[in-house]
Amino acid sequence: MNLMNFVYAFLLLLAAFVFQTTLTGINRKVVARLQRRRGPRFYQQFIDIFKALSKGSTTHGWVFDFGVVMALGGIMATAIFIPFGPLKAVPAMDNIFIIAYVLAVGMLGMAMSASGSGNPWASIGVSRALTNMLAYDIPFMMVVFGLIFAFDTSSLSGLAAIQREGGFLGWHVIRFPLGGIVAMISLQGMLGKKPFDSFIAPAEIASGPMVEYGGRHLGMLFLLHEFSTFIEVSLIVHLFFGGGATVAAFLVKYALIYTFLNIVSNVLPRFKIDQAVTFFYKVPLALAVVQTFLIIVVGMGVA
Amino acid sequence: MTTNSKDMRKTWEKIADYFRAHSIWMKWYCTGCGAIEMPPTMTSRFDMEQLGMGPMATPRQADVLLITGYLSAKTLRRVIYSYEQMQDPKYVVGFGSCTLNGGIYFDSYATMTRLDHYLPVDLYIAGCMPRPEAIMNAFDTLIKMIEKGEAKGWRHYQENHDWYRKNQLHSLKEVYVKDEFHE
Amino acid sequence: MTFDILIVLMFLGAVTAYLVSKADLKAGAYATVLFSLGALVLLLLGRGEIGSEFTILFMGFEVTTIGWYFSGVMVLVYAMTAFFNSYWMDKMIYPGSYNFLYLFSLGGTVGLFFAKDLITLFIFWEIVVWSSTFIVPMGKSRRAAVVYYTISTIGSMATLYGIMLLHRISGTLDIQGAFAPLKNDPVLATVIFFIFIMAGLTKIGIFPFHIWLPLAHGSAPHTFSPVLSGGLVKMGAFIAYMSVGILPAYEAFKGSLTVMGIPIQIYALMILGAVSIVLGTLMAIKQDDAKKLIAYSSVANGGYILIGILLMDQLAFAGSMMHLFNHAIASAAAFLAIAVVAHRTGTTKISELGGMIHRMPLTYLTYLIAIISLAGIPPMGGFVSKWLIIQGLADQGLMFMALAAFFGSIGSFLYVFRPLAAVFLGQLAPRHEELASAPLLMKIPMTILMVLILFFGVLPGWILGIIGQIQVAAGIEPVMMSGNSILAVNGVLNTLNVFMVFGFGFLIALVIFMLMQKSRRVGLMDTYTSAEFIYTPELYHYGSAFYAPFERLYARHPSVEDFLMALAYKGHEAGLMVNALFFSHKPGVTVFWITVIVAVVTLGGVGL
Repeated sequence: MNLMNFVYAFLLLLAAFVFQTTLTGINRKVVARLQRRRGPRFYQQFIDIFKALSKGSTTHGWVFDFGVVMALGGIMATAIFIPFGPLKAVPAMDNIFIIAYVLAVGMLGMAMSASGSGNPWASIGVSRALTNMLAYDIPFMMVVFGLIFAFDTSSLSGLAAIQREGGFLGWHVIRFPLGGIVAMISLQGMLGKKPFDSFIAPAEIASGPMVEYGGRHLGMLFLLHEFSTFIEVSLIVHLFFGGGATVAAFLVKYALIYTFLNIVSNVLPRFKIDQAVTFFYKVPLALAVVQTFLIIVVGMGVA
Repeated sequence: MTTNSKDMRKTWEKIADYFRAHSIWMKWYCTGCGAIEMPPTMTSRFDMEQLGMGPMATPRQADVLLITGYLSAKTLRRVIYSYEQMQDPKYVVGFGSCTLNGGIYFDSYATMTRLDHYLPVDLYIAGCMPRPEAIMNAFDTLIKMIEKGEAKGWRHYQENHDWYRKNQLHSLKEVYVKDEFHE
Repeated sequence: MTFDILIVLMFLGAVTAYLVSKADLKAGAYATVLFSLGALVLLLLGRGEIGSEFTILFMGFEVTTIGWYFSGVMVLVYAMTAFFNSYWMDKMIYPGSYNFLYLFSLGGTVGLFFAKDLITLFIFWEIVVWSSTFIVPMGKSRRAAVVYYTISTIGSMATLYGIMLLHRISGTLDIQGAFAPLKNDPVLATVIFFIFIMAGLTKIGIFPFHIWLPLAHGSAPHTFSPVLSGGLVKMGAFIAYMSVGILPAYEAFKGSLTVMGIPIQIYALMILGAVSIVLGTLMAIKQDDAKKLIAYSSVANGGYILIGILLMDQLAFAGSMMHLFNHAIASAAAFLAIAVVAHRTGTTKISELGGMIHRMPLTYLTYLIAIISLAGIPPMGGFVSKWLIIQGLADQGLMFMALAAFFGSIGSFLYVFRPLAAVFLGQLAPRHEELASAPLLMKIPMTILMVLILFFGVLPGWILGIIGQIQVAAGIEPVMMSGNSILAVNGVLNTLNVFMVFGFGFLIALVIFMLMQKSRRVGLMDTYTSAEFIYTPELYHYGSAFYAPFERLYARHPSVEDFLMALAYKGHEAGLMVNALFFSHKPGVTVFWITVIVAVVTLGGVGL
C-alpha cells in the first residue's frame, strides 16, 4: 500500500459513484416509463444528493454524526476492495469474506446512528433490516461457500477469471443455475428492493432508519446507498456473470442486472418481515444447500 | 442598505439554489380535503416527478411543507411542530382557499383563517379545490422562485420569530403551547 | 522458577486477600487487583521458561506453549475484571470470601493449564469448579449455583472416570504417556474420547450442557460474569484440545467411518458444536437480560471454538485458538460495560434502560468495540479469528458447519446490536438523567481491553506466532504469515491494509461531513412523531421485544431444558419414594427394611 494506491482508490470511488448514480437516475426513468409517466431527468439523482448535502441539518448527539461518518466510511472502504472490472485499487484484497464483513461496518454505523436519534421508528427499521440480513445472507453465503470450495480461491477477481476461461457457458450462473437463482434473489434482498423492503416502508414506519435524517446526513446516506448498491451488484457480477475482462463489459453486465432487478422490484408487492425470513429459509436456502451439496459431494459443474 | 447585502447570494448559494429548485421533496400535511388532488398530480396523468418533485416520509427529509386544507387550533399546533422540525431552507405552500382566508370555514370559531399569520407562506394556490393543472403551475412558479432566491420565507420566519410566536400564542393559548413545544 | 512462584503466590494471595478483607473490604478488593496483575506480569516474564518442568508437593507441572497461552488469556481476564471488585464489596454477603475465592480460582486455572499428570489436572479442575460454585450464588440466585455445580459435576465425574480408565490401561498418569496406548485401539480411543471430553463440553457450554451458562453468567455477581464467560469457559476448550490433540484423535480414528472426510466420532461432536452455534444465537436474540444475552452468545462462540479445535488443521484450529482469546477479551469487555450500567442503574434488563451513551460515553465505546469484535467485523480481533475458522471450513468443504457458522455470524449482528440500541442508544429515561459516568478504576480496564481488541485486530501477528508454535507442538502445519498478511489456502488477509483502507474511507466521509453546513443540536425528544406530542421518554423507546417478528417464528421451539427439568422431577420423585419407604415416621418400618437388607446381603454372601 502506498500513496498511489489511495489516489487510485479515490478515482475508482469517484467512477463508481458517477456510474451508479447515473444508473439510478436512468432506472428512475425506466420505472416511470413502466408506470406510463415521463419521469425525471436522468441526472435527477445527482441533483437530489447535492441538494441534500447543501441543506442545513439537525443532530441528536455525537453518535448520530459519528455513525453516519462511520457508515459512509465503511461502505466506501468496501467499495475500494471491489474490483472495478479488471481494475483493482488494492492488490490481493478482494477476498469475498473480507468484503462481506467490511460491509457490515457500514451497516453497523448506520444502525448505530439511526438508533442514536432516539426515534423508535428508526430502531424498528434497524431491527427489520438486521432480520432481513439474517434471511438473505445465509443462502448467499452458502452458495459462495460452495464456489470457494470448488475453485480454491475466495478472491472475487480470481473467481471471475475462472468463469471467463469457458466463455459465456463458463459463467457460474450457467454452470450452477440453482446458485445463480439464489444469488439473484439474495441480491434483491441485499438491495432492499421489493418484496424485501419492509425495513424502509415509508408509509408504515416513516422510512425506518432514515426517519431522522435531513440535510448533510441524508445526503451522505444517499451516497452510502449508491456505494452499497455498487458493492452488492458488483459481487454478483463477479461471482456469477464472469466479472469483466474490460471495464465496459463489466459495466454493461452490471447495468443490465441492476435494471432487471429494478423492473422485477416494481411489479411486486411487499413481504412482511417474518414472511421474508420464512421465504428465504424455505426456498433459496434449500436451493443453496442443494447446490452446495452438488458442488462439494457430487462435484457437479466443477470439472 | 443592510437588507440589500443580505439579499445578495454567494456563488455557492446560487448553485445550491439550483439544486434546491430542481429537487423538491414534499411533506404533505393533509389536514383537509385538498389531499385528494395530490395522487392525480403525482401519477401518470400529470407526473410531478418530471419536475424533480416527490413525497417524503418525514419533515426532516422534506423541503416543502404542503398544507392542503383548513387548520383547526389542534392541527395548527402540529403543523408548527412539523415546520420547526424541517431543515433550512424550507418552504411552505398553502393549498386551497382555506389556508388563504378560511374558505368555506371563514366564519368558524375553531378554524384559523390565515395561515401566513403563523407560518411564512411562500406560495398560495387558490381554489376550492385547485385542480392538478393549477398545482403543477404553482410548482413551476415555486421552482422559479427558489432558483432566483426569492423564496425566503424561512429566513423571514427566523428574523421575525417573535411576531410569529406572538400570533401562535395568541391563537393557541400560552399554557398549552409552552407545554407542547417542549420549551 | 517463575511458574511455581506464580501458582503458590496465587494461593497465598487468596489467603492474604481474605485476611486483608477482614480488616478493610476495599483493601481486600485492591489486593485481588495487585495479585492478579502480578500474575500477569510473572506470566509475561516467564515466557522464556516454556518447556521447563517443576513440582509443587506431589504435583508435577510442565510449562507448555498452549498452557502458557491459555493461562495468559485467563489471567488477563481475571486481572482486568479485578478492578471492578472493589465496587461490589458492599453488595456481597461474604465479600471477604469472594476475594479469597477469586484468587483461589485464578490459582486453580493457572495450575490446571500447566498440569503434567492427570491427577493434578483433575485437582485443579475441581479447585476452580468449587471456588466458582461458591461465588455464583453471591449474585442473584442460588438455583443458578446448583445447576452450575450439577452440570460441572457431570463433566468432571465423567472425566475422572476417563482418567481412571486411562490409568488402568496405560499404568501411568502422565498426560503424554497415559494416552499413548490408545493410538492402536480405536474402540477404546472412542470411549475415552467421549468420556474425557465431557468435562470440556460441559464447561464450554456445548448443547445440551449449555443451560448453566445463561443461569450462572446471568445471575453471578456482575464482577464475576466476565470471568465466567471470558475465562472459565475456556478451560473446556483446553480439555477439548487434550482430547483431540494429545490423544491424538485423528490418528486413533484413522480406520473409522468418515463423514465429509472427518472421522464420525469427531464429526458427531462438531454437530453438537454447530447446534450450539444456532441455538445460542437464537436464544440470545430473544433475551431481555443483557447478561443472559451475552451468556448465550458465549454458547454460540463456544460452538465456533469447539469446531475449530476439533478440526485440528492449519486454519480453523488457529482461528479457534485466536477466537478463544478474542472472545475472552471481547466478552469480558461487554460484561464489564454491562456491569458499569448495572452499577449505576441497578438493573441489567434491556427494556428498563436506554440512552446510557449520554451519561457514560466511554462505557458505550467499550461495549461498541467489544461487540464489533464479537460479531466478527473488521478491524477488530474477532474478525481475524472468524475469518480463519471460515477459511478452514471452506478448505475442507464442511458445508453444514459453515451453514451454522454463517448463521451464528449474521445472527450475532442481531443480538449484539440489541443492547447497543436499547441500553446505550435511544431515549434516556428521566430517572437516569443524573447518573454519573463510570468511576476511574472501572475506566482503566475498559480502556485497556478496547486497545487490545483493536490492536490484535489490526496486527494479529504476535498472537498468531504463538498459535503457530502451539500448532507445531501439536504436530500440525502452523498458520502462515508473511509481513502483515495471513496466508490461507483460499485467500490472503492483510489486516493492516484493511485497517488502512477503512481509515481512508472514514477520512473521505469525514471530509464530506465537515465541508457541509454545521448541524443544529436538538434534544432526543425532538424527533418525528407524526406531529404528535409525546412527553414520556421511557415509553418512547423501542427496547422490549426488539426482534418480535423474528422471535415469533420460533416462539414455540422444543427445549432441552424441559427434558432436563422432567428428568430432575423424576429424580426428585424417586427420592421421595425412597424417603417414604425408608425414612418414615414409624421407626419400625426403618428397622424392618434394615433387617431385610442386612438379611439379603448376608444370605446372598453365604449363598455365593
